[in-house]
Amino acid sequence: MGGTIRMQMDVKAMKDPRTHDWTQISIFSAGWLEYLVEYNNDGSFTPMLLTSWEANADATQYVLKIREGVKWNNGDDFTAEDVARNIIGWCDKGLEGNSMAGRMASLVDEATGLAREGAVVAVDSSTVHLNLLQPDITIVPGMADYPAQIVHKSFTVETMVSNPIGTGFMLPENLEVGVKASIVRNEGFEWWGYAAGKGGYVDRIEFIDYGSDPATHMAGFEAEEFDLNWESTGEFVELFDSLGLVKTQVASGATIVVRPNQDHAPYDNKMVRQALAMAVDNNVINELGNASLGVAADNCHVGPMHPEHNPDVTRAPFDPVKAKALMDASGHGDFEHELRSLDTGFWKDTCDAVAAQLRDAGIKVKRTLMPGSTFWNDWTKFPYSATNWNHRPLGTQVLGLAYRSGEAWNEFAWSNAEFDSLLAEANSLANADERRVVMGKIQAIVIDEGVTCQPYWRSVQRHNVAGLVGVDMHIAYLPQIYKWGHAA
Amino acid sequence: MGMFILRRTGVMLLTAICLTFIVFIMTNLYPNLEKLAKNEGNFRMSDAEVASFLGNRGYTQGKLQNYGEWLGVLPGYVIEGIDGKTRGRCSNHGAIVEDAGRYCGVLQGDWGFSSRFKEPVLKIVATRLALTGKLMFWVLVVMVPGALLIGVMAGMREGSRLDRSLSTGAIVTTATPEYVSGVIFIAIFTSSAVGLKWFKGSATSAMENATLENFLLPVLTIAIYGMGYIARMTRASMAEVMTAQYIRTARLKGVSFANIVLKHALRNALIAPFTVIMLQIPWLLNGVVIVEVLFNFKGFGWVLVQAASNNDIDLLLAVSVVGVVVVLLTQLISDIGYVFLNPRIRIS
Repeated sequence: MGGTIRMQMDVKAMKDPRTHDWTQISIFSAGWLEYLVEYNNDGSFTPMLLTSWEANADATQYVLKIREGVKWNNGDDFTAEDVARNIIGWCDKGLEGNSMAGRMASLVDEATGLAREGAVVAVDSSTVHLNLLQPDITIVPGMADYPAQIVHKSFTVETMVSNPIGTGFMLPENLEVGVKASIVRNEGFEWWGYAAGKGGYVDRIEFIDYGSDPATHMAGFEAEEFDLNWESTGEFVELFDSLGLVKTQVASGATIVVRPNQDHAPYDNKMVRQALAMAVDNNVINELGNASLGVAADNCHVGPMHPEHNPDVTRAPFDPVKAKALMDASGHGDFEHELRSLDTGFWKDTCDAVAAQLRDAGIKVKRTLMPGSTFWNDWTKFPYSATNWNHRPLGTQVLGLAYRSGEAWNEFAWSNAEFDSLLAEANSLANADERRVVMGKIQAIVIDEGVTCQPYWRSVQRHNVAGLVGVDMHIAYLPQIYKWGHAA
Repeated sequence: MGMFILRRTGVMLLTAICLTFIVFIMTNLYPNLEKLAKNEGNFRMSDAEVASFLGNRGYTQGKLQNYGEWLGVLPGYVIEGIDGKTRGRCSNHGAIVEDAGRYCGVLQGDWGFSSRFKEPVLKIVATRLALTGKLMFWVLVVMVPGALLIGVMAGMREGSRLDRSLSTGAIVTTATPEYVSGVIFIAIFTSSAVGLKWFKGSATSAMENATLENFLLPVLTIAIYGMGYIARMTRASMAEVMTAQYIRTARLKGVSFANIVLKHALRNALIAPFTVIMLQIPWLLNGVVIVEVLFNFKGFGWVLVQAASNNDIDLLLAVSVVGVVVVLLTQLISDIGYVFLNPRIRIS
């Protein structure tokens, strides 16, 4: 217990949590504003200000149970009214920059841009019912995202720092935008988390702004001016390692797909697609294309960071000889593939490595490099190219955006009725364990169809000095500061 | 003398008004306002949201109207926005505050509110100027005596071995920009790669508590660059004085070399470097940008960068006024200083 932790971080101006557009803003207000649900590195969702939630069979109704005995730091009781009021507030599309409205879309009335009448109901002091327009399993994950901080009924943007009413264990001490900020323990406040064994170890957290140049962060680390950084990227990961710092790393859902587009011959041939994936050793691509800052993936765009991932379904084994045989059997053994990619960074390195492996297997490949200005105009339409995809908490989310038939971002031009119906089924199962059964089938179809080569998951990492606990890098940069502490 | 100072003050005011008007027009161009709205609101705001954000906060009024409000000759706007909230300039572009006056411009002593830092501009400028002042003070303490010493020593015997080696040194330091020397200093003296770790490569803690360890490198980086320049000026001036008739006369009369340099040559040789040193001060104010960013020392140069990159209108205007005042003030001092150094010059 006790002590101070200093973090290198961009110190940004405070604003309404719903309009937060940087996680760096939320980590400061996380001192006194908390979340209903917490998202964890293993893909799970655990209750914070809720104790549980339950969905009906097709995920159109949710029952949220509120944690009892939680108090606001001004002495008020925390009730279902507070939760309902916050959720209704999230639905307000009229608020400039409110990104929560998108996450709550199935509660919003399109006509008014506000929560639908009867969509959010506080049934009693500890229960809230949500009535959705359509099945939606992303609504609870949406409540765990960084702008979803729960505020008091007296909340105003102008007074949120000067009169910080919240349920968290800390209070803001000072905020100097671009320079530094600090939060300190709210002495005398009986935070619910102490009794619940959540932690709340440090007395004081300081955030110090060092600008965006990692070389400056390195100088700050060397000068021992802070204990942990916000994020380590690129070549600085190795440099920080060499300073003897502790690295925490987590493989996120951010990835790259090196995919054929099935509107173009010969990629309408399943054997050709399977051969392209089979000839590539994903571990090698992670090493050469991603500087080993990630873990190998299984060519199905669902991974261990997703709650419903089925680890039993894995890629078709790496086998260059069989790949060449498949390519010859398809009748396209002499076809020269043209693999397009951006001309920089991990896009280029990854595709270079993939092309080299295809050539090793005896498949002819030509590489074409394009600048971002022309590449992104047509990224969904190239016959064979590479695209990066960001992390999303549920495995079904990217599948719905990019793999479902007819979607605007379906760069594979893939259309499969069985996949579509399985995905629809998965999207109505709010329970991850039930969804995993269906997801296993989905993964198998994507792999068997050779939809894409998806070589690795990219990791995110940060560094800290020895002797800290709970400061691990978070997969979605979420501000779980109550876990931070000094090792006993 | 009084008239002279008064005239200079008039010029200063006129320059400040012209400059701020130009800055005002530039920062109020629509793309810049859009950037401001997105910085303040949300990066993913749509065009319609940007327009309503700007309209609600009075940015889309006439430019002259807004400039007048900033100066304080026109009353600040009070606008009922399309979101139903009423905002006013005199309430920091936010919800109307009861005791806010009708006018709130520079004439009323209100320099506005920084959109980037969410604080009154006057407070930011004062804090940051004080920090840069601290840096500049130590730079001048190291740079000026060092430069004059090197310059005089090099110039008193032109062409000697001492002159050649000092001049070479001065040229090398002046030819090395701060972003090169600073990086070299950090690499050699602070990194565990080299292993010396004598000093800190970050001056962040020097803002509160400056020590030799965390403050020497930024001071040295700036001082060394300016030192060579002033030393070259001093050397040239000194070398010229040393060839003057009266120096030769003194020498023929048998005055010792030390006395010739200190009593007869020095005062005349210092006139040119004095102007240069005074010119260095406004240069320092802006030239510290690189060093402040490199060493993460958040002074005036850093504020300038932040204000510009966030299109923080009120802050940029205040920064340019400070720039004008510092330039003209140091020039005034250098003009008056001339009179004392050279009795032949009169200000009329």
